[in-house]
Amino acid sequence: MTWIWILLAPLLGGLLYGGERVLRARMQRRQGPPLLQPFYDMFKLLDKRTLIVHAPHALLAVAHFFVLWFTVAAIFLGWNLLYIIFLHLFAQMLLILAGYSVRSPYSHLGANRELLMLIAYEPVLILVAVGFYLLSGSFEITEIMRGGNYLFQMPLLFAALLMIVPIKVKKSPFDVGEAHQEIVGGVEIEYSGVFYEFLYMSRFLEYLFIYSFVFIFGGVSCWLGSVLAAGVFLLVNLVDNATARVRTAQMVKIIYAMAMSLAVVNLLWMLV
Amino acid sequence: MKFFTPFRKKSPWVLHYNAGSCNGCDIEILAALGPKFDLERFGVINTGNPKQSDIFLVTGPVTYRSRERLVELYTQIPEPKVVVAVGSCTTTGGVFRGMYNVEDGIDRYIPVDVYVPGCASTPQLIIDALVKAGEILEHKSKEIEKPFKLFGAVQTIGNKLSRLTMAKKVDHDED
Repeated sequence: MTWIWILLAPLLGGLLYGGERVLRARMQRRQGPPLLQPFYDMFKLLDKRTLIVHAPHALLAVAHFFVLWFTVAAIFLGWNLLYIIFLHLFAQMLLILAGYSVRSPYSHLGANRELLMLIAYEPVLILVAVGFYLLSGSFEITEIMRGGNYLFQMPLLFAALLMIVPIKVKKSPFDVGEAHQEIVGGVEIEYSGVFYEFLYMSRFLEYLFIYSFVFIFGGVSCWLGSVLAAGVFLLVNLVDNATARVRTAQMVKIIYAMAMSLAVVNLLWMLV
Repeated sequence: MKFFTPFRKKSPWVLHYNAGSCNGCDIEILAALGPKFDLERFGVINTGNPKQSDIFLVTGPVTYRSRERLVELYTQIPEPKVVVAVGSCTTTGGVFRGMYNVEDGIDRYIPVDVYVPGCASTPQLIIDALVKAGEILEHKSKEIEKPFKLFGAVQTIGNKLSRLTMAKKVDHDED
């Protein structure tokens, strides 16, 4: 059963992304694209002529997608949380390498920003994992999901996670990595056709990755987890529609000053 | 592949280029993309990246400086692609026709599929044009399309550019 979910993970993420586009449209009082729009885009991209800059560049996008898929599979199978975070780091490293491997300045700028985003959110993710460890005594997701009451024991860590969700799904105010017309997609800029599709699908997997972290906070009750994930989904989109983009340095400062200190305070409170 | 062609119409991604326009048509395009006219309901995204777009939306009468960029952007869009000329200036040169610094419309340089009249053309017309462009996109093949003229860097590299050599090979094979 789990294997079927793992195989369907990109489709699941695609539905999530399509739903998000409809939701954002409704928040702006417009009709918005159909729910299956991401799949239409995918099929169209398959039918485009593909321009390749050089082979490793194209290969890195494919590798990025498959490593991310493996990461999401590891989450579904309930493996070690730290292992999952570092797998995800590996996937991001592949993307950053791809960004640096071409000569487009936008691609380099995007890779720089991607790196700074990584520096901002990675410590918070690890601190969240440590928080789970302190409460449940294990990094294994299967063990963590047997416990409960995470939200009430580590509310500040949850707030810290809430702050890094927009970075991961590339939403305002922390959407410097993509930055619509400013750097034209950053690392994605030199991709086209089939290879862009891999990056497009890896975005769906990023959604699954970060929202499953939110889901884990529900612990043993799947209901609480689902409500939390849905609430964060709504909140992130609301904030996305209501705020402007901050600069990269400001983003790192905000995350380090607020999310990190929230997380550390919560950990100290749990230890004492 | 036959299976995928219907989906071209459902997600036409747009590259918008201002070839010396007065910004009238650009504002109308933005209005069409905005919440009131909502082009996104047809799956349109304003990508801003030639390598990922299907429809080339050009405004302006092509000033002397902008023509190189126009042709270069056109060559960077992968096939199948459609060119939409928005506004009187882009289709014929408009009030600038015959002036020394203006090139009288884009069809001197690149093949145009849809002409949109109006100064400035209304969002309704632009929506109609994009729907029409989606229909044309469905009937296009993946054969390489070339601009009528080359300038600047593209011309200097000339036939060493892999895409243009590919186009030549295709022509040769068909002979």
